[in-house]
Amino acid sequence: MSGLETIKVIVDAEKEAAKIISDAMTRAAQIRKGLDSTIQEQRQQALADARKEATASVARAEGEGKSEAEVVEREADELTRDLVSRASSKKEETVTKLVAMVMEAEK
Amino acid sequence: MSEATKFTQDILTNAKAKADSIILEAEAETQRASDEAKIAIQREADAIARAGRSDAEAIKRREISEARHRSKLRQQREKDRIMQEVLDETKKRTFEIVRDDSRYIPLLTRLVESGINELGTELALIHLNGTDLKRVAILERNMTSSASGRVKVEWSKEPIDALGGVIVSSRDGRIRIVNTLDQKFNAVEPKLLIEARKSLFGE
Repeated sequence: MSGLETIKVIVDAEKEAAKIISDAMTRAAQIRKGLDSTIQEQRQQALADARKEATASVARAEGEGKSEAEVVEREADELTRDLVSRASSKKEETVTKLVAMVMEAEK
Repeated sequence: MSEATKFTQDILTNAKAKADSIILEAEAETQRASDEAKIAIQREADAIARAGRSDAEAIKRREISEARHRSKLRQQREKDRIMQEVLDETKKRTFEIVRDDSRYIPLLTRLVESGINELGTELALIHLNGTDLKRVAILERNMTSSASGRVKVEWSKEPIDALGGVIVSSRDGRIRIVNTLDQKFNAVEPKLLIEARKSLFGE
């Protein structure tokens, strides 16, 4: 191999090496560029899932709240019925007592 | 292998190594950024979930609290209804006395006399309702001299709006002793309410 040929071989190798590095840099730039959109997609997905779960949890709570409220009202109504029934049975006795109080006050 | 070939191979090997390093560094850098982003995203998602749970708890509490409130109101309305019925019946029976002369005339006489004594003037003007105006003669007979003897008594012919009892006033009407059954009942009503609540509901 002549001196000139040797130089040509080396120059070609240098060119190829520069291309290898340039390709690597392009690839690295693509990797970095893809990150933003990936993160954005992940974020949107994660937040959408969280919002969906929050909405479901509110709907669940509404249902549970309504059920518990029905129980509370049923129990309270039962208590009120008892109270009314007991009070009604004492009405006559109470009226008699109150009339006596009025009469006493008028003396 | 010639020196030139070895030299070019070295150039290419070094270039490949540098290229690998550039890509590895980019991958590591994006991995770090991705991990950090994941943590931040998770924090955001957790905050949304926490807010959702908190809203859900509040909604549940509100449903139950409103139910309790509604029940309490219903119970209070029932209590008020019974109290009103008892009070109305008490009033009705109390005022039935006006239809029983044997009980009412002595009571009315007493109310007139105490009104005259309380007024303390030389002349007492007696006001009765329309029905009781027909009982003036009986009242005059029943009144003790201690009340009527030292005080000049006049009977107003204008009937008052009362179920029973009397208003005793000075001639000019500036001093009035109200001894109507209505007023007596109203005066004792707060005590009746307390007693009724105790008797009916044990409160």
